[in-house]
Amino acid sequence: MSIQHFPICAIMAYFLGAFLIVIFGNNRALRNIIGFLATATPLCLLIGLVKPIMLGTDVIAYWMGNRVPAGGYAIGIALEVDAMGLFFGLLIATAVFVAMLYSFSYMSHDDNEPQYYTLFLMLCGGVMGFVLSGDLFNMFIMIEILTFAAVALTAFRNTANGALEAAFKYLVVGCIGSSCILAGTIMLYAQAHTLNFAQLAAFLPGKLNTATVVAYALLFIGFCTKAFIVPFHPLAADAHGAAPAPVSVLISGVLTKSGLYGIIRLTYILFRVMNLGTVQFWLVFLGSVSMFVCVTMALAQHDFKRLLAFHSISQIGYVLTAAGLATALGISSGLYHAMNHTLFKGLLFLCAGAVLHETGTTDLGKLGGLSRKMPHTTVLFLIGAFSISGVPPFNGFASKWMIYQATYQKAVESGNIGFLMATIVALVTSTLTLASFVKVTQSVFFGQLPKEYENVKEVSFGMRLAMGILALLCILTGLFPGFVTTYLTEPAARAVFGANQYINAMMGSGYAQGFGLADILPVSFEAAGIWSPISWLCLLMIMLLAVAIVAVSSKYDQVSALAKTAAAAEAAEAKAGPRYGSGALAEGKYELFFGGEESVYSQVGGDDLFWGFKHNWRHYFSFMHELHSGIVNDYALWAVIALALAMLYAMIIL
Amino acid sequence: MSIIIDGLKYLAYILIFPGFLFCFLSGLLLCGIDRKLVARMQKRVGPPILQPFYDFFKLLGKETIVPVTANRTVFLIAPLVGLAAQVVLQLFIPVFSFNAFHGVADVIVILYLLLIPALSVILGAASSGSPYSGVGLSREMVTILAVELPLVLVLLSVAKVVGNAMGTGLCFSLTDIVNYQLTHGSLITKLSMIPAAAAMLLIIPGETGSHPFDAAEAETEICEGMLAEYSGKPLAVYKLSHAVKLLTMTTLFVALFLGGIGGGIERAMMTSAIGGAFCFLIEILILFLLCVCLVAVCISFVHAVTARLRIEQLFKYYWTVVTGLALISLVMAWYGL
Repeated sequence: MSIQHFPICAIMAYFLGAFLIVIFGNNRALRNIIGFLATATPLCLLIGLVKPIMLGTDVIAYWMGNRVPAGGYAIGIALEVDAMGLFFGLLIATAVFVAMLYSFSYMSHDDNEPQYYTLFLMLCGGVMGFVLSGDLFNMFIMIEILTFAAVALTAFRNTANGALEAAFKYLVVGCIGSSCILAGTIMLYAQAHTLNFAQLAAFLPGKLNTATVVAYALLFIGFCTKAFIVPFHPLAADAHGAAPAPVSVLISGVLTKSGLYGIIRLTYILFRVMNLGTVQFWLVFLGSVSMFVCVTMALAQHDFKRLLAFHSISQIGYVLTAAGLATALGISSGLYHAMNHTLFKGLLFLCAGAVLHETGTTDLGKLGGLSRKMPHTTVLFLIGAFSISGVPPFNGFASKWMIYQATYQKAVESGNIGFLMATIVALVTSTLTLASFVKVTQSVFFGQLPKEYENVKEVSFGMRLAMGILALLCILTGLFPGFVTTYLTEPAARAVFGANQYINAMMGSGYAQGFGLADILPVSFEAAGIWSPISWLCLLMIMLLAVAIVAVSSKYDQVSALAKTAAAAEAAEAKAGPRYGSGALAEGKYELFFGGEESVYSQVGGDDLFWGFKHNWRHYFSFMHELHSGIVNDYALWAVIALALAMLYAMIIL
Repeated sequence: MSIIIDGLKYLAYILIFPGFLFCFLSGLLLCGIDRKLVARMQKRVGPPILQPFYDFFKLLGKETIVPVTANRTVFLIAPLVGLAAQVVLQLFIPVFSFNAFHGVADVIVILYLLLIPALSVILGAASSGSPYSGVGLSREMVTILAVELPLVLVLLSVAKVVGNAMGTGLCFSLTDIVNYQLTHGSLITKLSMIPAAAAMLLIIPGETGSHPFDAAEAETEICEGMLAEYSGKPLAVYKLSHAVKLLTMTTLFVALFLGGIGGGIERAMMTSAIGGAFCFLIEILILFLLCVCLVAVCISFVHAVTARLRIEQLFKYYWTVVTGLALISLVMAWYGL
């Protein structure tokens, strides 16, 4: 099989798997085998494409039924895979594969398992088709498939509290987004008489009239709803809160990526408006707002999964900010962060799922002390938490650090102080993220173990394996940033700037030049900063060894004394009844400090880990609290307002 | 052969100077001087200057108690990782023209490496399961949040000023920042950098958690907060990493704002016939004296004359006054003043 056929096979594998599970799904072993093959095959196929596309800068154009363009018009259905499409495809295939591995044991107690796997694979096929598609209308069809599969999966555990409500909200706002995409597609078709990406990309840059810029705004808002950019973020929180953990991985790691892919494709290749300062400002502004608003919303959450959902959008904000810079470093760092986001956020959602699976709750106020019962999950969670908070040497740091540089360089080069603000917001957001994850660590894995979780056990090996794969990838991509940029993100960034190559691969060479579109020279970048994680890690290891030798040589840990103390304490506890504070655990963890009064009457917010921060921002927080009413009408209204603003902005400025 | 010699050289950097031994000696010495100064300012006799050394060795000999509620592994390993990370961080901060490892980390990375020791204390405290530690770590986290914003602004404005002067637009490399000062004079002599230096002076007590910004370890209310459950050797390790943090923050200040002094020393030494090694020793001595002065100004003096701030006052102070100072610098640097 020549590599030409790899993309279509990757998409078909998912859909085929979905249909086969409908037929044979009642047998568990058969179902699992089909699920495994259906997700492993696309991953292998796409890895096979890395060499020609990432290293050889090929672009694969595939015409269904060999209906190649005639007379400069593309009529047939096409798939087109350039380095950027492949990059997102690889992310998706990896996340999907891991989520499938996890599902085998995680979903084994649910009813209707065959339906779950069918919807799961439909969603995957939709997203894969979306990023590999070569024309706008197929993109819309895939969006419909993936949106409805995602809505159904959100409400899959429909007996759970809030699942149907979350699905309904998602449905309403998701449909507004899909309608926007359809409307934008129609307007472009009316203008250009084609839906093929390559042909549109050749036609549109010279034809920025009112109709096409409004189409741009419509498509942009449509893709924003898929990526849950502010103001569409409340949907994500509800959806993640209700969906099973592997589905959360798909929604945050895969669905939001498809939205980002759409935005980048639209802005850089279809319209080539990346050189317009107004568009850059728009993207960077939206990205920074998403970053900050969502991280502060996350600080106010009391539910593990909702908290992760807000962080997810906050990280998407980083990607959007970086993507809006229109520099090679910016795009490269943005894509790097998109990849890291898929890895660490997937890992974190799976950890949340593990906690839910064992304890039956994700309420931060009820959990505690799980590290002694679930040591592996704790370590994996910490890796994910360090990665997302940008602690060196994990992967989140490598990409965030590139984003800081990219925004600051852009600010210095353009002299625009707005980009400087983006740098500062990004740096502060990173610390806020860390704060938020300290809270989760303290509330879920450390602290005191409530009585009802005394019998909690570690999750099964299959689930730990899935989490382990993601954790390993988090560490590796953090330790070898040079490898990732050279082989993955730089080719993708080149593809983002290489619209002409994209057009010519599909429509025949010289087609783009026929429209008077100048070639964009190969892009390269130089980072201003220095960071070599391997050297740092070596130094740390040597130092740790030295410190440990000194400590151990003087009997660092006196086990016998310890065992005695622990045994004595336990005996004393058994005699004296509940240990300090545990009586108050049911009400709230830090009630101990109120001397018995209700926390609302207390002057010091002892039950709130970030009281010192929130007290100073109380007006902001109460404003946000009022804004996020949880009523779907409000969110739909926000969507309409955002659309109106985007259209106005596009018409006035572009 | 040369590989072995290089290896030994780097090992000496890591273990002796500017690594472990240097950090151990000068960190604890700074701590002792600080305690003595505070005592003298409050008209007390105060402990001997070597008291932190005595404390350290005494704690090493004490029994280590791990609470029942604790996760033992994390509880015992966290202090070690914190100390190691803290000392490794010290390796990246140049001592005037001498820089042991210059290709590893830039200013922004250092900003984040500073988080690791703090994070290890937080994790250790969290793993102990004590509510006192819980309150302490929440305050520590808010303190980190408070200090981070002005620190970022200070670093960005330094990067901008040096980048402007070097014609590259921005410069994140700490080595380049110091080298620039060696030839062009200290950054603190620039008008635009004075507010940033002032902000940095206020950041140092916040980062090291000394009065009045020590809400996180308030002994009188929450029993030293995060260290409440620690005893014996892990506690000794924590005390040591706190001492090294004093050294790190003050040497960072010297590298960022007073780097030019090294150039002066070198020129003065050039004229006389004294060898390079002696010159280097003088430089280390001067660095240490500068650190002592900084500790005296921004830690001991402030400690002696202020009372502890509540955590939300602390946050507000940093995000208004100190951030304001740093912002003034950044804006002035931005417009090339």
